[in-house]
Amino acid sequence: MARLKSVWVYHVDAGSCNGCDIEVLDVISPYYDLERLGIKVVPNPRHADALLITGPLTRQTRIGIRKAYEAMPPKPRIVVAIGTCASSGGIFYNSYALYNTSPERGRDRLRSGGPEMVVPIDMYIPGCPPSPEEILYGIAQLLGIKEKKMHGEYWKALPPGEEGDGVSFTIPERPLSLRLWITLRDELRRVVGYYDRDAVLDDFMKLLEQAQKDENPRERLHDLVTGYFLKEKDSRVKVAMRFLEETYWSLVDEYGEWGESLRKIGKSART
Amino acid sequence: MAESVSYTEKLKAWNRKEVEKIGEKAPVTTPYPFIDIEKPPEYRGIPHINPEKCVGCGACVNACPPDALIMEWDKEHGVKRLTYNAARCIRCARCIEVCPTGAMEPTTRFEIATNSKEDLVEVVEHRLAYCEECGEYLDFTERQIEYVKNILPKEIFDMYALEDRMKLTQDAKMRVTVEKLRELEGVEYPAYLLAKRGDE
Amino acid sequence: MSKSAFEVEVECECEACEKGKCDSADLVDVLSEREGLKEFYEEFKDSIHECRRLTYGQYLFVIDRDVLPEATLWWHNHPRFKETHMSTAVGTDERAIAGKFSYMPLINVQVEAENMDRNFWVLLKAYMPADDPSFPSVAAKLPAALWIEREVKDLLGFRPIGHPDPRRLILPEDWPEGVYPLRKDMDYRHSPMREPETEFREPPEGTTTVPMGPFHMGIEEPAHFRLFVKGEEIVDVDYRGFYSHRGIEKVGEGRLTYNQVLFLAERICGICGYQHSVSYAMAVERLADVDIPDRARYIRTLMLELERIHNHLLWVGIAAHMVGFDTGFMHAWRIREPVMWLVERLTGNRKQYGMNIVGGVRRDILDYRKEEILKVVKEIREGTKKFLDIALNTNTFIKRAEGVGILPYKIAKAYSVLGPTARASGRRIDARLDQATKTAMAYNEVDFKVPVYKEGDVLARVLVRMDELFESLWIVEQLIDQMPGGDIMVPIGKLPEYAEALGFTEAHRGEVLHYVMTGEKNKVYRWKVRAPTYNNLPAIPDMLRGYNVADAPLIIASIDPCYSCTERVQFVDVRTGRVRVLTEAEFNELSIKNRGVF
Repeated sequence: MARLKSVWVYHVDAGSCNGCDIEVLDVISPYYDLERLGIKVVPNPRHADALLITGPLTRQTRIGIRKAYEAMPPKPRIVVAIGTCASSGGIFYNSYALYNTSPERGRDRLRSGGPEMVVPIDMYIPGCPPSPEEILYGIAQLLGIKEKKMHGEYWKALPPGEEGDGVSFTIPERPLSLRLWITLRDELRRVVGYYDRDAVLDDFMKLLEQAQKDENPRERLHDLVTGYFLKEKDSRVKVAMRFLEETYWSLVDEYGEWGESLRKIGKSART
Repeated sequence: MAESVSYTEKLKAWNRKEVEKIGEKAPVTTPYPFIDIEKPPEYRGIPHINPEKCVGCGACVNACPPDALIMEWDKEHGVKRLTYNAARCIRCARCIEVCPTGAMEPTTRFEIATNSKEDLVEVVEHRLAYCEECGEYLDFTERQIEYVKNILPKEIFDMYALEDRMKLTQDAKMRVTVEKLRELEGVEYPAYLLAKRGDE
Repeated sequence: MSKSAFEVEVECECEACEKGKCDSADLVDVLSEREGLKEFYEEFKDSIHECRRLTYGQYLFVIDRDVLPEATLWWHNHPRFKETHMSTAVGTDERAIAGKFSYMPLINVQVEAENMDRNFWVLLKAYMPADDPSFPSVAAKLPAALWIEREVKDLLGFRPIGHPDPRRLILPEDWPEGVYPLRKDMDYRHSPMREPETEFREPPEGTTTVPMGPFHMGIEEPAHFRLFVKGEEIVDVDYRGFYSHRGIEKVGEGRLTYNQVLFLAERICGICGYQHSVSYAMAVERLADVDIPDRARYIRTLMLELERIHNHLLWVGIAAHMVGFDTGFMHAWRIREPVMWLVERLTGNRKQYGMNIVGGVRRDILDYRKEEILKVVKEIREGTKKFLDIALNTNTFIKRAEGVGILPYKIAKAYSVLGPTARASGRRIDARLDQATKTAMAYNEVDFKVPVYKEGDVLARVLVRMDELFESLWIVEQLIDQMPGGDIMVPIGKLPEYAEALGFTEAHRGEVLHYVMTGEKNKVYRWKVRAPTYNNLPAIPDMLRGYNVADAPLIIASIDPCYSCTERVQFVDVRTGRVRVLTEAEFNELSIKNRGVF
């Protein structure tokens, strides 16, 4: 695409939830100021070089969108889909109120759907809603200021123990058994939430690794966790750490007892 | 303990560099896209599948509200493909929350606009386990079997007892169990098992 | 205010009884829990078939369909419960369970303002046989029911007998007759077509038709106006909305499980999404009968208030823009931006927070996040004060807003107007305190005022919102201060089947109401959403009547309309035969200036 200079855009809403619309408006507001890139929002598709579409293309809007597209000058006639809905129909993709060519539509690998059913789209800006930076990046890419960074991936996952053409399987080395790791990670979701849990659990595992070298890991771990608090002042992380420590030892004890009693039963059964 | 900065301090230290930078020259507007910026570490960018860790269990597919993650089945060739498309993703991060292996990784990537939807697709092709006994592919992958083996608490289970039956279909599993029982302990075939198989 | 969330006296001692779900619970006990229930029962004794408590403060009466209007009006016009209003109604296809259809007005009974332990919800359920789904129209006597009865007519095929305006409205023009999307025998993906038939109104004699929209530069959301003009003067306006109808309720009932619906609920509206998500989560938590951790309630309240803050700033910017005070617009949005950055750091996204899960929240507020919040709150308070000082001393602003678009108390009540619009007309309602939000939010544990103005004009609406903004900042500070420890979520197991409950919050536009009826296999059987704009928009013609046309855009914007919330199943119909004069230039201005409001 030849480098564009000052692009005049026309914004249409194909039934969006407003999130993207407000972000488009935000791009015009002082912090992001789209107009410094030469973009101007115009009220008529006949003056527009580009069409910004938000929304999943409801049945009612599809005729209007098509008309707006045809009213644009034949060149450059750029269409920009802003938001996940406009890129593929989003969470609404197979609803009765959307323009569906068939009930099975939208489950292919490209997740077809949205305005691309009626107009060709030149730039997809997915996001729910895309933040102003994301919209700026998409527009900058159209203008030739930024380069495309995404590319599709296709991996062949190799079965465990196999090497060769594909990605081999690894279970990361951890100082605690996989079962405990999964349990602790899931429990931690209740305490600090899904976002912070991985970092907290990683820190805990580092401490555990140190503690396991010691003769008395229980006391050593307790000391290490207390020492960790000198560095980490956050009260919630402290709570989570203590929680991990307690849960870890209670789980270890529980499994240990079970194993013990089972082994006894097994012995008595064999004899 | 090599790092001297704690987790929350690292997060706390993050700030919008472009805002600081523009403080003197232009009071408000960001210089982006003419400079490179980064999103805050808490930002929910598109998730990324780590093919090294993914076992193909499909927990994320069940949790995904907009069907951005779909499992494609191809039993004839013995593969299933976990497909992810960022164009459908609403970034709720449910997949990250439910993934049992940590293969769904959060990113702060925001520069994802593209002119072709092909760029937004991530596919992981998993090979299905094969049942020697029946000569057909199973519903789960060999990675899943390996993972389950690792999950089972070694304190409780005797691994050798399960090893030979994990790669079997439901029918074959039942058959092998019953045969083994009969061989080892002289237990008769329970009638309902025979009826269910319907072959005798 | 009582301390425990479920403090109710019942004599029956079985466990189910204490939770109010025991069918054998003594009727007298249930009726004596709240004021007015007994009175109502005595009045309609012959027509009431069943009476039970669904959950804390929500009472269901199964009544004959013939007394539907009388029963609804009995509550609405109750002399002691002044602020009582009919919030909305729910139509359900219960043929799979009961073999019948049901129609159910939901009434928000206000015994005492801001006392969540005395006020309650009344659900009046009327069953209709499967072969004759008709009921006497409530709308003939109560304008608040106008839209909802059209909605059930369109989506479920009910027949409201005696409805003043029974046009077909919601579904697309090319949707065939006799296919009702919300009936259970239709698949959510089924999208039948026919030749489009547009029912536009006949233009009045001697006028020219000027079509505007559905896509217009100013109107962010699609809406189609047909102006009937005589020269420059607009004689009449025909309006068609429903362009944003996305069939959300059906998708939620069809494709998704109850935890996934939460994320769909958030996407009803990009502006007040979190309010919808909390309302839905609250309804499901009530059904599952779990008490969510205190910390989760606090974090939810915190996020709700942050959302209110940035939305009020958004709105005041638009209002400033609307009166030609563009500097105000830019400044309001500049002040707003740090809040967006803040919520991005708290939740991961600027909008559509994705913070909720049924049973709690998904991210924690760590200490450094608290500090960030307090920093931003301080910044916003200073910035807004400065901004308001300038705006309210600008004559352009005051003169355009004062004494304009007056909505009298009576009309506000008849249309069940909600939120700041109602509070500016002297209605003392605020769902945060009026109804029992304490199971999902922490409003009962913080101190704040509900600003009420009696003037009912646009200036009053500005002031109500700005007062609320400062109250919200104060609430945020209190929440940070009082934030308790403990978990942030509880896992929820299986939901009971075919149980019903309501969830509600006060969005920045008014009360958001979600009705949830669970189905089998962790799905939702019926999910009904009512956004505040749905109730506020029908009152617009009354606000416009008698004022200068130049004020029309400001008046329309002053209710902070949101079509995408409203049109998830419904469309907006401002039948403005009543707007007297509206020049095209003015209309242009209206649409240009409405940019971003919707």
